[in-house]
Amino acid sequence: MGKGWCLFFLFWPVAAVVSCAAAPFIGWSFPYDNAQAASNLGIRIDHLFYLILAITAAVFIGTQAVLVYALWRSANNRDERAQHTHGNHKLELIWSIIPGAILLFLALYQMNLWADFRFKNHYPEAAVKDPLAEVTARQFEWRFRYPAIGKQLQPKPQPDDLYTVNELHVPFGKPVLIQLRSDDVQHSFFLPALRIKQDALPGLQIPVWFEANKPGVYDLVCAELCGWGHYKMKAHVIVEPEEEYQAYLKNLTQQQSYDGLGQIAANENGSESEAAEK
Amino acid sequence: MRFGYRHFILLLLFPVLTIAGCEQPKVEFIFSEKTNELMPAAAKPVKEALVREFGNPLALTQFEGLPTKFGDVEGKVKSVEATGAEAPLIRFQATGLENVYDKLQGLPLEWTSGKAQGQVSRIKEYNFETGMIAVEKAADIAPQPGDTFLVECTRLQFGRDLYNRHCMHCHGMSGEGTGPTSRYLNPPPRDFRLGIYKYTSTKSTDKAQVQDLERTVKEGIAGTYMPSFKLLTEDEVSAIVNYVIWLSIRGETEKKLVDELFLDFSKETFAERTSEAGGETPEEIDEELKEYMELDFPDTLDFATSSVAEAWEEANREEALVIPESPRVPDSPESRERGRQLYLSNKTKCATCHGPQGRGNGSATHDFWTNPVTNTKYPNRGLHDIWGNQLPPRDLHRGIYRGGRRPIDIYRRIFAGIKGTPMPAFGSSALTEEERWDLVNYVMSLPYSSN
Ligand SMILES: [Cu+2]
Repeated sequence: MGKGWCLFFLFWPVAAVVSCAAAPFIGWSFPYDNAQAASNLGIRIDHLFYLILAITAAVFIGTQAVLVYALWRSANNRDERAQHTHGNHKLELIWSIIPGAILLFLALYQMNLWADFRFKNHYPEAAVKDPLAEVTARQFEWRFRYPAIGKQLQPKPQPDDLYTVNELHVPFGKPVLIQLRSDDVQHSFFLPALRIKQDALPGLQIPVWFEANKPGVYDLVCAELCGWGHYKMKAHVIVEPEEEYQAYLKNLTQQQSYDGLGQIAANENGSESEAAEK
Repeated sequence: MRFGYRHFILLLLFPVLTIAGCEQPKVEFIFSEKTNELMPAAAKPVKEALVREFGNPLALTQFEGLPTKFGDVEGKVKSVEATGAEAPLIRFQATGLENVYDKLQGLPLEWTSGKAQGQVSRIKEYNFETGMIAVEKAADIAPQPGDTFLVECTRLQFGRDLYNRHCMHCHGMSGEGTGPTSRYLNPPPRDFRLGIYKYTSTKSTDKAQVQDLERTVKEGIAGTYMPSFKLLTEDEVSAIVNYVIWLSIRGETEKKLVDELFLDFSKETFAERTSEAGGETPEEIDEELKEYMELDFPDTLDFATSSVAEAWEEANREEALVIPESPRVPDSPESRERGRQLYLSNKTKCATCHGPQGRGNGSATHDFWTNPVTNTKYPNRGLHDIWGNQLPPRDLHRGIYRGGRRPIDIYRRIFAGIKGTPMPAFGSSALTEEERWDLVNYVMSLPYSSN
């Protein structure tokens, strides 16, 4: 094989490494705000991802370097013939034990994060005691039920519950928990900016907690192909300071008890909330 | 499905067709079944009139006097591109369209000055970046720099594009409610062509307000497959509703025209009239039809559209809105009990349909009802809406409120009924304002009661 081919096979791994390294700077990386997650848990997940990326990058660069070196040497040396061997016990051991050790390290290293993320007894107590809202996925929209101001979310709807669709307001800087349900098929509650993803299953109520760390309007999408209108299944999660969140609930309460008379008449047919438009 | 030989050929053909398929596909608004039941000689002018006045999905047309935002925009020719004599299109650069919707292809362009003044061309190509327009070549179209023109229907086109993306697969290209997804849906998507919408804030004789339809688009309809489109901008929602109302007006106009002709000139009548008992010759009927078309049809068309347009306009008056005279009666056990008595009383007869406990299983659901349009009995028991679908009365315990869950929404359902359904309006009946609110309180308490 000629040297041209050696260079060809050198080019691709170099291109791969360069484009990966450049990705965060040209917006090909994690979404939102300089690729920084909008939740503390999300930042920890990103960290884990980058750790795995660093390990695999090191292995990738090492193996590619060896491969190109071997090609280059044989391209320079047409006299020496290749030798057939029947394997090397020592090598086999080495390349089994090293990845095994890495996997074991990762498994132990991420245990706390996984527990905080998915184990109910690790959930923040305040959030579990007072869930924010019930989120019902439905073909093809997200419906939300909040408890009345000052009350707690009940498993069954209450007369003074507050309802919205495709717009979830959340206070920031404190952990919140939602009860996730599905009305029909399987959907998936996906907050890319917060690195939260949880399937919604018919017949189940699944608690999901998250803590947004900065205000903003984030996308809530469905990450499970759920039917013809799946692409429509988008909502906004509006993360705002506690006072604004309370004001929003108050406004929602007023809108929802509207009897056709009084002040909100001007706005009565409008969107049920005018807060937090981008 | 097996992936057979024929599919394979189709797959191979696909890239070829994609490359070859530069010409815009021909897409047409469909006509109602009733139109197609007319004698061919009667159906033809009706169809032609509709195409002339409303156009087709890819070639919209402006019908003056409709309460529709057509979105005319004035432009000016800057320079004309020299083309060979055989070139099928005339290309010119225009100014004035910089802030307009970027897809103007297919729209009519009316010349307002120059040689072609008063003529209408169709835009065949449009480049938003360069402002280059191409129109079909015609003998008397010779744009010169400085000529002015109107591009018509830009707003309507914007609405159409959004509608086709978000609504068409259920509601159909013509708003006829039979899009490709519709057969999987129950309740079926609304057929807009009757111009009737269920959940409105207006009195029972009025059409829906623009705001009602906008609210439906934004909030969706709980308990049906109509989802919320809250992430669309206000502008997009209003453009969609503008287009939907325009589709409704088109359908209603068609219906009015056909209703005029149907009694005398349907295929069935033609057969009857030319039968032995009828004793007329086909020529006589043709002559009569011809006379009608010449003398009366233009007026009928005018009257049909203007009356429909007027009704839509009137719905947006303030007087059309249902506003209670007094605030909601405080929701107390006493008020609910009064509401319950009313619910069970002969004054309202709520229980006949919704059932004594509000489970939606009243005695009326066991009867065979008569279709008010055809005057024949429905083939199955229970209530029906005017679109011909079976319509079980709502189970009031489910806590799902299709038209909205605010007290005013329930009040309006009671006051104005639900249009297109057997749910009657209690606005002008013997109920007092307090009684209506008592009923609201009772109905709203049902999902949380134990029975
Ligand atoms: Cu989904």
